[in-house]
Amino acid sequence: MKKRLMDILACPIDKHHPLDLYVFKENEEIEEGLIVCSKCLRWYPIRDEIPEMLPDELRKESEDMPFLKKWKDHFPQNIVFEGKPFRLK
Amino acid sequence: MENEKVKDYVKKRYAEIANGSQNCCSSSCCSSSKDISENIGYSRKELDDIPNEAVLGLGCGNPVALAGLKQGNIVLDLGSGAGIDVFLASKRVGVSGKVIGVDMTEAMINKATTLAKDRGLINVEFRLGEIEALPIEDNSVDVVISNCVINLCPNKKKAFIEIFRVLKGGGRLVISDLVTNGKLPKEVKQSFEAWAGCIAGALEKDIYLKIIEEVGFSKIKIIKEIPYTFDVSKQLQGKILSISVEAHKMVA
Repeated sequence: MKKRLMDILACPIDKHHPLDLYVFKENEEIEEGLIVCSKCLRWYPIRDEIPEMLPDELRKESEDMPFLKKWKDHFPQNIVFEGKPFRLK
Repeated sequence: MENEKVKDYVKKRYAEIANGSQNCCSSSCCSSSKDISENIGYSRKELDDIPNEAVLGLGCGNPVALAGLKQGNIVLDLGSGAGIDVFLASKRVGVSGKVIGVDMTEAMINKATTLAKDRGLINVEFRLGEIEALPIEDNSVDVVISNCVINLCPNKKKAFIEIFRVLKGGGRLVISDLVTNGKLPKEVKQSFEAWAGCIAGALEKDIYLKIIEEVGFSKIKIIKEIPYTFDVSKQLQGKILSISVEAHKMVA
């Protein structure tokens, strides 16, 4: 995704804006990264350049936990342990 | 029928369509998608101007042609699929505008993103998201378009509340969708197949328009209405309508 698209991106749950962006891997576009809602502590992965902004009930723990584990050193600490909907126990 | 089950089924079905058509574009299936698309209101020139793979023949109107988009507009396409309407809209809003496609099916978003990249389009963006919980800021969009998708939402009122929320004051929706002319038989309503085929979830026209009004829209107008006959069983002929609706969010 392109950075300028953060402009109108909001948390699908509480509609908070602006969201925090963490870039893990970048070419012309952000390939992998993290979007965080500082209000509700939900986190959303950017994978294959696509921001995945799904509400909790459509997310899969089996897909999101490996992403969290892979990038946990780059995640903000509070999201690793208190983030929603998935966190390290 | 439970809402989550419907969403799962719809997702699965549309992922199959997205994946299937990647392999079939050398055969006649793309030309038939184009034929279907021509029948529902796209011109051949429009279709020839955008990537073949973006044309899946899943719409029921041509909202972009009716939306009166201007250079610089911010446009949101709900249920953007492989991107047909996003690509058409991107030409109209130019580089000073942007078009955002939201879809809940990963395979569709992947496909659309790849097509946009191949074409070097800088004013379009796709994100995985759900219409009943849009990842879009309040009051940020000039025009919301959607093509034959709202009928797939289990909770249409929630969908329209979200559309109203993200539109700027003075913004509008221009949506093509299927509605019914009277009530549908119960067995049709309960079939998953009919859900994903855009039929079981279709509301009666009057109820559909009433919901749009209830969530706050003004100047609601049907700009096009035709009987939808493609893939409709005999029992349902004449009962399914394709409508294109325009509605405005007044300046607060």
